[in-house]
Amino acid sequence: MATGWLGKIWQRFRATSRPDQLNRDLDDEFTFHLAQRTEKNRAAGMDAAEARYAAHRQLGNITNLKERTREVRILTSLETLWRDFTYALRSLRKKPGFTAVAIATLALGIGASTAIFSVIENVLIEPFPYPGANRFMTVEIHDANNVDAAGRAEYSAPEFLDYIEKNHVFDLAIADASEDVLYQVGGGMERLHGILCTPNTFEFFGLPALYGRVMEPADYEPSAPPTFILGYKAWKSHFGGDPSIIGQTYILNGAARTLIGIMPRRFGWGDGDVFLPVKPSRAEQAFVAGEFPPVWYLMGHLKPGVSVSQAQADLTVIANQLAKIYPKSYPPRFVVKIVSATDMVVGNFRTTLTLTLGAVALLLLISCANLANLMLARATTREKEFAVRAALGASRWRLIRQLLVESLILSVCGGAIGVGLAALGLNSIVALIPPVTIPAESEISLNLPVLAFALAVAMLTPIIFGLVPALRAARNDLERPLRDSGKGTSSGTSGQIRFRDAVIVCEVALSFTLLVGAGLLMRSFEALRGESLGLRADHVLVTRLPLPSERYQTASQLVSFYRPLLTRLKSLPGVTDVAESSALPPYGGFPTDIEVSGAVHAEKWPALFQLCSERFFDVLRIQLRVGRFFDEAEVAAARKVAVINETFAQRYFDRINPIGRRIRVSDLANFPDKVNDPWFEVVGIVSDVRNKGLQEPVEPEVWLPYTLTGSGQRGILVRTANEPLSLMDSVRREVWAVDRSVALSYTGSMENYIHLQSYAGPQFGFILMTIFAIVGLALVSIGVYSVVAYATARRTHEIGIRMALGATRADALKLVLGMGLRVIGVGVAIGLVASLTLARILASQLWQTSAHDPLTIGGVAILLLAIGILACVVPARRATSIEPTLALRHE
Amino acid sequence: MPDKKDDLLQGTLDLLILKSLARGPMHGYGVAEWIHDSSQDVLRVEEGALYPALHRLELRGLLSAEWGVSDNNRRAKFYALTVAGKKQLMQETEYWRRMSGAIARVLQTA
Repeated sequence: MATGWLGKIWQRFRATSRPDQLNRDLDDEFTFHLAQRTEKNRAAGMDAAEARYAAHRQLGNITNLKERTREVRILTSLETLWRDFTYALRSLRKKPGFTAVAIATLALGIGASTAIFSVIENVLIEPFPYPGANRFMTVEIHDANNVDAAGRAEYSAPEFLDYIEKNHVFDLAIADASEDVLYQVGGGMERLHGILCTPNTFEFFGLPALYGRVMEPADYEPSAPPTFILGYKAWKSHFGGDPSIIGQTYILNGAARTLIGIMPRRFGWGDGDVFLPVKPSRAEQAFVAGEFPPVWYLMGHLKPGVSVSQAQADLTVIANQLAKIYPKSYPPRFVVKIVSATDMVVGNFRTTLTLTLGAVALLLLISCANLANLMLARATTREKEFAVRAALGASRWRLIRQLLVESLILSVCGGAIGVGLAALGLNSIVALIPPVTIPAESEISLNLPVLAFALAVAMLTPIIFGLVPALRAARNDLERPLRDSGKGTSSGTSGQIRFRDAVIVCEVALSFTLLVGAGLLMRSFEALRGESLGLRADHVLVTRLPLPSERYQTASQLVSFYRPLLTRLKSLPGVTDVAESSALPPYGGFPTDIEVSGAVHAEKWPALFQLCSERFFDVLRIQLRVGRFFDEAEVAAARKVAVINETFAQRYFDRINPIGRRIRVSDLANFPDKVNDPWFEVVGIVSDVRNKGLQEPVEPEVWLPYTLTGSGQRGILVRTANEPLSLMDSVRREVWAVDRSVALSYTGSMENYIHLQSYAGPQFGFILMTIFAIVGLALVSIGVYSVVAYATARRTHEIGIRMALGATRADALKLVLGMGLRVIGVGVAIGLVASLTLARILASQLWQTSAHDPLTIGGVAILLLAIGILACVVPARRATSIEPTLALRHE
Repeated sequence: MPDKKDDLLQGTLDLLILKSLARGPMHGYGVAEWIHDSSQDVLRVEEGALYPALHRLELRGLLSAEWGVSDNNRRAKFYALTVAGKKQLMQETEYWRRMSGAIARVLQTA
């Protein structure tokens, strides 16, 4: 039987889809007619020709007739289609709750999954617009004792040259270095982010210039006329987006350079504003006296056919040679790692996005399961409708077509809203992404193949599950629903019930896992927020002040800028305190080796040191533990005094009072503006302030007067009485009053700085996860409600009989709640097992929170049970308010 | 004038086709012959109008169609009433009885 109706549908499909088939059928039909008629005419006594002619005349013009028949077919098809459409609309409007829920479920599933898949595709999979970018590799040197810690990927010029000249695995290798580029605009100075690039850089990336040209080999020669290339963003923001400026000369860092090209928007290597050609030499000299020589961030394009492990082996040979020449730059035992550029740039954010990907897949699954359930439940309630219509003569094809049309209407509405949601969601996610965590090149836009995939998956679900009643009707299974109604006790066959229950169990389990994930990330974020920085970040304005290096090289030159500036700022209304500093917590200073007078130690004693003015501790409200801070006179005289943190005192002074003792900050002797005999007297101990980020333990740290050396980047911290950003303009005025050629960069409130550096990433992860969990929870409660409400409706008759036979309302309530809670309970149990298993994946994203946190898991279980009970309440109330006599007449 | 005659036929043609198929599946030629014979030549179905009507009824689900072999071994398309077609025939017949009865009574009273 099944092949019978399927075959017919197929035939009909073929007939409508292939016009030549119809044409041939019509020919056959008319030929038969004419043959019959001719035969009859012959029998009536006509001769052959006359008989055939008469037959033709009676039937009329065949071509004309065929045309008319075809027209009738098209018109009738359109007419029935329209009737199906209006019928479907009517029947959907009759159940507005079902329709709204089904469309919402579809839209949420499509929208959420497409938005997230798009982000992941554009950030993780294809972030770079450069051809061959998947073979861009960086070279990292890791300490063999701590391979997982961050490695070194930057090299001095001689090291870089050795790596690119002696390796056998890269077909092209380049390096870039960052440099502040000061550029005169109007009355003041602006800072641009300069990227020094080595020969072959533009061949390496393979993108042509938007205007002008890219660097050619000759441009990198030291004797070549100085040139530069502009990045797109800086061109728009600082140069008015005018292409005609190519060929003009600008003063950058005090020297004239000619603009030769403007790069396209997606060329964002190093997030550079300007690109300057440089040919590194083995002389390893600073470009400007008094500055550190640049460190080169090396990147190579792996030759075809060379594997990462081969490359690592080859570069290890070179690294071993270099370690003998520069023993200070390499740990005693080290490992060379080759890391792809994408991994390098996206790094830690990858885990967050991958987790999110999992969450989205779960969400799409829940949506589809929910939809399947809704369609099945509706199908079951409509079995009788279809049986009646089939009994009244509606063909199976007609019933199937009608359901298809209904499902299509749902799919198209849900799909359209889903696409809208996807676009909207994508915009909000992009707005939420912390800007420093993704490559500047990545362009996040709606991914069309992904959208098509989500649409297809989500739209097929209602179509497949919506067809169930039609298929059952087509199976000639028509009388059963009609007979069933007499008994009124069925709620679908046991197979259907089991399927629906299984879907709800899965949904609850999936939602449980999502909620636990969101809960854990939230707890972890709270723990991070609760982590003490060791300072007060509110009401502090910070800005970095890159000084024109040609005029500021020595300590006295530096002091000649900062001393008057600090005095001027201090007297500004609204400013309560001000300090100079070489580093900004929660990241601290320059790394150095330490010696303590009288202490003998074979291994190196590492520490961080920071240069600052005397008010630094007061501005940030850092607590003094023992001794004193250095004072204004000591700073002015550049006295060799030091303040250390508690970790330093505990680790390197071990029960000896450090006050009055002497320590050597060895690396100061290597500074370009070096400090001879860098022995310092410890005058005070302050409480620990975070100096390796929020999640790493505090390192030993030393604070020294900023007046000791002219080397190193500096900035100022201003404590304000009111909103710190309101003082930005007056601070800029004072800076320019002291020196017009100083630029303010990275200006903002300390709180915002800390937020971006330390909280934005984890917060993004937990907000995303929470959105998913909430959407998932909404879908689950819809799911539970629809199934329980449906089952209750089917059992109204039964409940009526029970109550007529003496069951109380409490019994009826128990019956309904029992139905709901049974599936939810099983779902929670499975979800519990699943989350405990999945905890391992999440563990790396958690900070001081156990992946098995009982509070979170318990809370989620209670929440889900509560939601489940709530979803049962409405149907339960309906069931208990049943009047037995009414219920018996219900069918 | 011929248009008007067509209109009249159009309204009743569907009913005649349904009725002709009430006895069992038949091809288009058979339907034409049956209408012709059973109306004793009064109703001459325009054969050209018959086929579009058959196809329309088929698409509306009142008739089903299947290719088969005729008595004299020719390939022919056989039409048959569907359940919906039977129902439609009953309703239409009932309607016609009442209508023609009413019209007959009206004409008698004159």
